[in-house]
Amino acid sequence: MFKLLLTCLFCVVVTSATTQNIITEKNIRFIEYYGFPGGNSAWDDIGYNPMDNTVYVGITDHRDKVALYIYDPVKDSVKLKGFINDLGRLRSFQWQAKIHSKFAVGPKGEMYFATDGGESREEYLMEHPGGYAGGFMMKWDPVQDRMTNLGMGMQYESIKDIDVDITTGNVYAVSYPQVHFLIYDQQRNALKDYGRLGSAHVPRMMFTDTWGNCYYTDWRQRLVKYEKSQDKLIFASNSLPAFEGTPGEHIITGITAFAKDEKKGVIYLITYGAKVLAFYPQQNGIGRVEDLGGVIDIPGKQRWNYYVPNLNVGDNGKLYYIIGGHGIYAKKDRSLLVEFDPATKTPRILFEYPSTVFVEATGCNTKDRDGNMYFAGKKNIPPGTDKNGGLAELGGLSTVPFLVKFNPDKTVY
Amino acid sequence: MKRLIIGILQLYVCQLYAQYSFFTPEDAFAIEVSLDNTSLKRLPGYRNAITSLVVSGDYIIGGTSADAGLTPFVFTASLSKREMHSIVDVENVIPGQQRIRTGFSKGKNNTFYAGTLPGVIDKKPNAGGHLIAVTVDAGGHPVIRDLGIPVPGEGIFSLTIDAKGNNLYGITYPAGIFFSYSIATKKINTYHDIVPTAKDTELFSEYLLEADDYLCSALAVARNGLVLGSAPVNRMFAFNPIVQQFEFFKKEIPEVWGRRSLGQIESWAMAANGKLFAGNAGDGQLLEVDPVSRNIRNLGKPIMMPRLRGLAFAYNGKLFGIAGALPGYAHLFSYDPAKEGFKDYGNPQFKMIAPGVEQGIDWRGFQLGTIASSEDGKYIVIGEDEAFSQLLVFPASAAKD
Repeated sequence: MFKLLLTCLFCVVVTSATTQNIITEKNIRFIEYYGFPGGNSAWDDIGYNPMDNTVYVGITDHRDKVALYIYDPVKDSVKLKGFINDLGRLRSFQWQAKIHSKFAVGPKGEMYFATDGGESREEYLMEHPGGYAGGFMMKWDPVQDRMTNLGMGMQYESIKDIDVDITTGNVYAVSYPQVHFLIYDQQRNALKDYGRLGSAHVPRMMFTDTWGNCYYTDWRQRLVKYEKSQDKLIFASNSLPAFEGTPGEHIITGITAFAKDEKKGVIYLITYGAKVLAFYPQQNGIGRVEDLGGVIDIPGKQRWNYYVPNLNVGDNGKLYYIIGGHGIYAKKDRSLLVEFDPATKTPRILFEYPSTVFVEATGCNTKDRDGNMYFAGKKNIPPGTDKNGGLAELGGLSTVPFLVKFNPDKTVY
Repeated sequence: MKRLIIGILQLYVCQLYAQYSFFTPEDAFAIEVSLDNTSLKRLPGYRNAITSLVVSGDYIIGGTSADAGLTPFVFTASLSKREMHSIVDVENVIPGQQRIRTGFSKGKNNTFYAGTLPGVIDKKPNAGGHLIAVTVDAGGHPVIRDLGIPVPGEGIFSLTIDAKGNNLYGITYPAGIFFSYSIATKKINTYHDIVPTAKDTELFSEYLLEADDYLCSALAVARNGLVLGSAPVNRMFAFNPIVQQFEFFKKEIPEVWGRRSLGQIESWAMAANGKLFAGNAGDGQLLEVDPVSRNIRNLGKPIMMPRLRGLAFAYNGKLFGIAGALPGYAHLFSYDPAKEGFKDYGNPQFKMIAPGVEQGIDWRGFQLGTIASSEDGKYIVIGEDEAFSQLLVFPASAAKD
């Protein structure tokens, strides 16, 4: 209760109650993890399992320890299921610094994810004795409470994201730093490498459609589709829309977030150039893309220069995302929770937080049966005030992670 | 002031993403060679690994290798315009070929010779890899002339040319037969002296090595006319074209202990004074090879990884090379025997500007397959070996001691 009050004190409700639904602090909640004081962050590694209505999150110390948590919204309970190195039977020389991929559900309700080596130690020590062996794909069976290690992607390479063909259980993956597009056929234990698709920075997000085709972006921020029916990659002829003046380093990073509105047959995307897009997938060929505008427009700031590594679609058809992180903020050291109406193409800021309350969130397309949406959040701990023992990210500030539960239509307490 | 703050913020973000620096010299650039589904002049995916590379005047000439079942290209790109210029689909000239991995050997009248490897090794008399002669016409378009199949049923794995531009020397794939080809008379001689013996093959099978791993991957002609290369197992040979005899060096190719079976020369470069340098794929050592004394001097390894895929001298006598390959990634390095020895530049990362990406994007080179210097030695050109390969170019003067 004290924490709720504290959160309320620090957040600024900026919504207007005149013509729109009233959204207050009762609609958002920060849920703490337990049992891993060194854990400081999550990196897109959140996902929803519709089979048993649970939310999965990986929390890391950004060094060599990653915890698996499962949140049950009905019981309102967070459970620490264990640490990836133990659950996945990894040896010490197969250390993993984080899970960077989403948690993606398979055909039988199993949850898939992949591991990542983190920063410089992963990328440059390589074949050195202290180097990184490579990222693994893993499968969690919620019925048996058991992890299966599906093996490595590429030697020395992290896996930044995965998704799953819901019809076959094949796992799509993208490697870091060489941006190789991989498909793992677990029935045949066959890994196929479709080669390098990116430039100097790896786009962090891939996603699938209802037919099980997978999408990614190339170095020109063009959609690349794995066309299942042809077993090949096809490329959009045009780049995704971008604001004039968007720098190259934002183009090559592709999309940072997606969320599906399956009723409407649309997948919403946010680019690293801060565009909101509506993508209408089709079974064969690459579908239509509609430009919905910018994620926000703060006077005096470039339209492309907002960082949004998260996105959810509410049951009301509106988009919700948190702007800010990785040194890019709409307002200095403040994160904004924004509602975006695709019908009117307008954003409105619902909450504004100082970075010591809420600094950054990841997580896409994570919504439970009751329309509650989830993000993997964290807050900065000012130097010298860390009472929780959370380790600083390598080269960064000390942070404490939490699960964000948000529902614009209901209280979440 | 606002720009300064943004700059500082972006620097901070960059630091978060990458706690290291790349080789990004001023005036370096990348040329987009490969891109699928485009109206631009580009090579399609999986057919564009730049495995042969040379520079002739303003034109970079590339020969590619394709994935299984696909066919390669020969292309030109302009150094001054920093863009692709012209493409020839080899399938339209010689059907059924998959790889051009011999590099280009410069002959008379700006003619560049290479060999092809077919997609399927077929022992029929009219099947196999072809010798090709490539010229660049007045419009900058590559013109390929088919010189025929030197050894039926075999592809061409490596190739070089003598100093006068009269004779080509090559090694076939997968048998490893050495051959000579007279450009004037088209006469072909074959020699089986370096073909792996049954004992060699047995050793290679113990290490699960295949022809790609043990056949001599690059040949050179020394100032004294000897043709130099590697032969199984871990030996250096010299072929004397006058007497048509092979001699094997008494000294083996330097090895990392236990890895003798991996010895394979895959690159050569000749300095202005005639000194020859070679790269050993087996463990990535740079070697100085003396064709007179038959001495092989181990200059060391620029990085931990095996492979040394290419070497090229710049105008100032600095030797540039490519060390490392999958499963790691290649590093650009230089070697200066008088001053600093080896210098590792890591991955080059150069700006790519092209229609549609006019603001420029950074292209980081991971798998570097080939390296060549411009005719005046002022530019170093690197060809990638990827599913979508590009060219990376930098002024040699930018790589300072």
